[in-house]
Amino acid sequence: MIRTVPAVLLLLCAAISHATDIRVVDREGAAVPTAMVTASPFEAPPADLSDDGYPPHGVTNTAAVTITRFTDAQGVASLPEADSARQVRVRAQGFVDASTSADPGTASATVVLQKMTPEQYIASFPSNVWLSQLTFGGDAELKKTFQLNCAFCHQQASPFMRNERTVEQWLAVFARMNSYGARLPAEDHQAIAEHLQRELRTLREQPQTVPEPRAWGAHLAEVSMTEWPIGDGFSQMHDFLLHPNGMVYVGDNLFDRLYEVDPESGEYTVYKVPHRADDEVGGILGNRFTVFPKMYNYMGVHSFAVSPRDGNIFITPSMQQALLEFNPTTKAFTIHEMDAGYYPHTIRIDEQDRVWFTLALSSQVAKFERTSGEFTLYDLPARSIKEWLVLKSLPLMFSIDPENRPQPAPDREGTGLPMPYGIDVAPDGRIWVARLYANDLAVIDPATDEVRMIEFPYAGPRRLRADAEGNLWIVAFQDSLLVKYAPESGEFSDYPLPVRNEIPYALNVDRERGVVWVNGNQSDTLLSFDIATEDWRVYPMPRQRFFTRDVEVSEKDGAVYTSNSHFPSWQTEGGQPTLLRITPPTP
Amino acid sequence: MKHSGVLALSAGLWLAALAAGAALASDWPVYGGDAGGRHYSPADDINTGNVAELEVAWTFRSGDSAQYGADMANTSTQATPILLPEAAGASLVYCTPFNRVIALDPGNGTQRWSFDPQINRGGDRPFRCRGVAYAEDTQSPANAHCRHRLYLSTHDRHLWALDARNGQPCSGFGNGGRVALYGASGHAPGDVSNSSAPVVAGGVVITGSTVIDFTRAHTPRGVVQALDAHDGSARWTFDPLVGHPDSGSANVWAPLSVDTEHALVFLPTSSPSPDYYGVERPGDNRYANSIVALDLNTGELRWHFQHVRHDLWDYDTPAQPILFNWQRNGDSIPALVQLTKQGLVFILNRLTGESLWEITEQPIPPSQVPGEHAALTQPKPIAPPPLLDSFLMPHDAWGLTPVDRADCRRKLANLHNLGLFTPISETPTLMYPGSLGGPNWGGGALLDERGVLLVNVNNVAFSGRLVPLGEQPAAGNGPPSAGKQFRVVMAGTPYAAELGSLQSFLGLPCNPPPWGKLIAVDLYAGRILWETALGSVHEMGPVTAPFHIEWGTPNLGGGIATAGGLFFIAATMDRQFRAFDVNTGATLWRYTLPVDATATPMTYRYRGRQYVVINAGGHHMFNRGSGDYLYAFGLPP
Repeated sequence: MIRTVPAVLLLLCAAISHATDIRVVDREGAAVPTAMVTASPFEAPPADLSDDGYPPHGVTNTAAVTITRFTDAQGVASLPEADSARQVRVRAQGFVDASTSADPGTASATVVLQKMTPEQYIASFPSNVWLSQLTFGGDAELKKTFQLNCAFCHQQASPFMRNERTVEQWLAVFARMNSYGARLPAEDHQAIAEHLQRELRTLREQPQTVPEPRAWGAHLAEVSMTEWPIGDGFSQMHDFLLHPNGMVYVGDNLFDRLYEVDPESGEYTVYKVPHRADDEVGGILGNRFTVFPKMYNYMGVHSFAVSPRDGNIFITPSMQQALLEFNPTTKAFTIHEMDAGYYPHTIRIDEQDRVWFTLALSSQVAKFERTSGEFTLYDLPARSIKEWLVLKSLPLMFSIDPENRPQPAPDREGTGLPMPYGIDVAPDGRIWVARLYANDLAVIDPATDEVRMIEFPYAGPRRLRADAEGNLWIVAFQDSLLVKYAPESGEFSDYPLPVRNEIPYALNVDRERGVVWVNGNQSDTLLSFDIATEDWRVYPMPRQRFFTRDVEVSEKDGAVYTSNSHFPSWQTEGGQPTLLRITPPTP
Repeated sequence: MKHSGVLALSAGLWLAALAAGAALASDWPVYGGDAGGRHYSPADDINTGNVAELEVAWTFRSGDSAQYGADMANTSTQATPILLPEAAGASLVYCTPFNRVIALDPGNGTQRWSFDPQINRGGDRPFRCRGVAYAEDTQSPANAHCRHRLYLSTHDRHLWALDARNGQPCSGFGNGGRVALYGASGHAPGDVSNSSAPVVAGGVVITGSTVIDFTRAHTPRGVVQALDAHDGSARWTFDPLVGHPDSGSANVWAPLSVDTEHALVFLPTSSPSPDYYGVERPGDNRYANSIVALDLNTGELRWHFQHVRHDLWDYDTPAQPILFNWQRNGDSIPALVQLTKQGLVFILNRLTGESLWEITEQPIPPSQVPGEHAALTQPKPIAPPPLLDSFLMPHDAWGLTPVDRADCRRKLANLHNLGLFTPISETPTLMYPGSLGGPNWGGGALLDERGVLLVNVNNVAFSGRLVPLGEQPAAGNGPPSAGKQFRVVMAGTPYAAELGSLQSFLGLPCNPPPWGKLIAVDLYAGRILWETALGSVHEMGPVTAPFHIEWGTPNLGGGIATAGGLFFIAATMDRQFRAFDVNTGATLWRYTLPVDATATPMTYRYRGRQYVVINAGGHHMFNRGSGDYLYAFGLPP
């Protein structure tokens, strides 16, 4: 049975199969292709959330799984069978969202979409196209500074960011964000506030100047998206791992919880990451979020890598001098203490089962030998004497109580914070690192322990991955580029993204299929790049403000996973973080 | 909604209403200056060039202080007089907090008559009366008793009709001139009362009510009532919470506005009960916290715009909707502007309720209270900007000395604070603005044709928390008062609520001054033109300073604009009555009153002289003394 809602016309058909075909048409009856059809259960399965709103340690719940399909050229999308009533939301570019409901056994239904008014249409554009029109008075470097420091947590021109604010209100926003950990240079505050105030107003008054977003492509008709809602509006599902055991392990960065999600059943089990009794919220960095109603990041679950030897999972706890190990069989955690290095960040494991990770604050790379339990730290060079002094003073600074610790005064170059960020192991075993603020790459030869630096001719190398040929693929964050580095020739090649003014956070390479997957966190997209043909495909996300920071690829079928880690999560559409799978990702 | 069978509108009444509106536009015939509440006068005898010469023309004392003695401590003087037309006696008429109606000679303040409804003063609800309404009743013969009428809604929930020329109750109206509005509900005296003036148009008198909405989960319904203006019979009612049995209130305590041309009445509805706990009232709680447009004749719903969904902050719609014509690209659109406690300025097409600025949905954090489902988003206009910045971070803490600043910084660091609409919880939560606003019932003044809104706002951060039943209170029970935490019981819920302004141990606000502001907003451009501190704190310390310290003060009451380029306002906690330049915000004139004047002034021309009148009697929340003064100012004759 179908229930109708205003502005939606549903035509009942006899139930002839278990799948539900949703036909989407406009008011003239013409088929609407590439319409996004999202079905979610009306009622979430009962869940034990008795641990401050989260499942207690070791308890298994079932996620309220959401399915998204896209209509084909005939305007039809087929939803898989379900055993409970579902809400169906239909979204298409240029049309007002419509929703309806479908009970089990519904064979088909037709949804009529209403065209947006011109004002509604422009207002519906994703953040990136609005952002593309901000020029900061023609000061490209200032815009890059803004993007580098203000776009790594959330979208920057979403509807509620475009609200008129006075210059003073913008300045207050910057002060607040810097208190949370952003590093917008003080000398740029006034100019950026004035540009945002003036240029957003101009766009509001001349919205016709905002370019249309890229149209959704016909390839989407082959795509299915599955979302597993996990955590709540205060969570941040930062990085995750697709494990050979079939589970996906997702870290709640703000609540020290590991979500073990079974994509087959929709069940998930939460494991609470341990910490030492005398640890405090915020770890050694101190709690920058005291005004938040909830925060439980004693460790700060950040990045994941799996051991090729035994399948154990290694996790970087950003807030501590430590490395976490999780045994997915026994569900036991081990804390490997370090006596140096600050801010364990992105992590990978090489074929020799050595664990490599960046230390973002102390500008180091750490190697953990599992056999000996020893850490080796590789110092990456300072860019100046001042930076060297800052880096050398970190132990002294961290010996001071966080509440009384001097706060850094960031500059545009990020002096004192070159920030080694992404890391990967190339097929030849060399370790590659990108330094976000320093705009350079480091390569470590594990055989010789030699560290070599390579200048990166773009801005904002954030995360990187090596492909099957040993080439490095790197996102240039504030330059909005995908960059390839060929170590053999030393050549860099850049590839403009298929959506304008994207600020790509991370990527992954499907080595089997030769596809690079790029996070499109300002445009609500995931982007795929075929290395051989250099063709792009764009995958729109099922929720607005779907900020992604990590991608995993299933070697088996090429499905890709990402997580919605907008910070704060309550600002994402629906206020709910999710793990997302896109399949099949046919390039 | 309930309708009476009498819907026909007398053409005579209709024309009389229209004629009244047109003829009285320059004479302040209704509470808000006109039926659309613009707080604007075309009078310009007093202007920026001569306002410095303004002097007291006359004063009047109502006698309440002598008559009611100690009860005056539980009053707030909020009345704005109206000037009656010649045919109605040409008196200046207002009401005192105890609902006494007094008519004065506009030229010298001599009393012509008074009427005392002898209200039931039971209960502990504060006494206030913002005004009376006037209309000509064309069903009564010319020159007959009650041809010209005043309507008064009283503290004890009666609607009175009085002869405007002598104050005698209208014998053909209700029972001896009065109708009981809320007589048989079983609620205690003071649970439901009235504060704002009723409105009269199209042959009906429409009145809202004031309901204490935090004492119980199930408070009285906030039913709006329309009565026949001639005989007081019921015409229609509107319950803003119809269909929501597990709540109450959502009443209309702020002044209403009327668009006679389109036969619409606009209701600014308040929060549903209880204010800070919504588990028993899931969903948006429509039509609470809304602007509701009803058909003036039938009470049928035309449209609504809800500016707070599932209120958890006591963000009533506090101010009279201001009606004007929106000019854009050569089009003139019937519009209204609505000020909200949260400091947002909504501009709506008043025929459809559609926002004339894009509405952006602001995501808000989830509640931490078991079972509480806060709305996922709240509406915010893309312009104009908020009148207040609702974030207050520890590094923003203010103090007179490093010691009290550190105290405030520590307090702020321990508050939950995710900006506007952070749901209250068992942990102290920043409420900025608090239930005082932002703007409040003083509303704003709209400059003629320019689309410039002048509005006074409070700028004092509050904090609040839910206190589980059984936990010992840290604050005393009772209504809010200056600088004190107070506790509201919310009977029928698992919690009480403790609320109050956020202060250091010195008793000074933790947010930086100004603590009261006057702001000029360009509604067409969606931007703030200027803002300035409103009020001096020189009398707020333990010792009065010999000079003014213009850091702004909390303020209650509104201001008015004139064609003379002036904005007159008192409202502050410094006994000052001020005139500002509407173009610059500069203070051009001020006068020290005997007590604070928490009322909206008015102005009129009478026998060739322009007067500006302000009612000064203090406010129980300010706790700075009471009085019973009416002051009229004019240029030297």
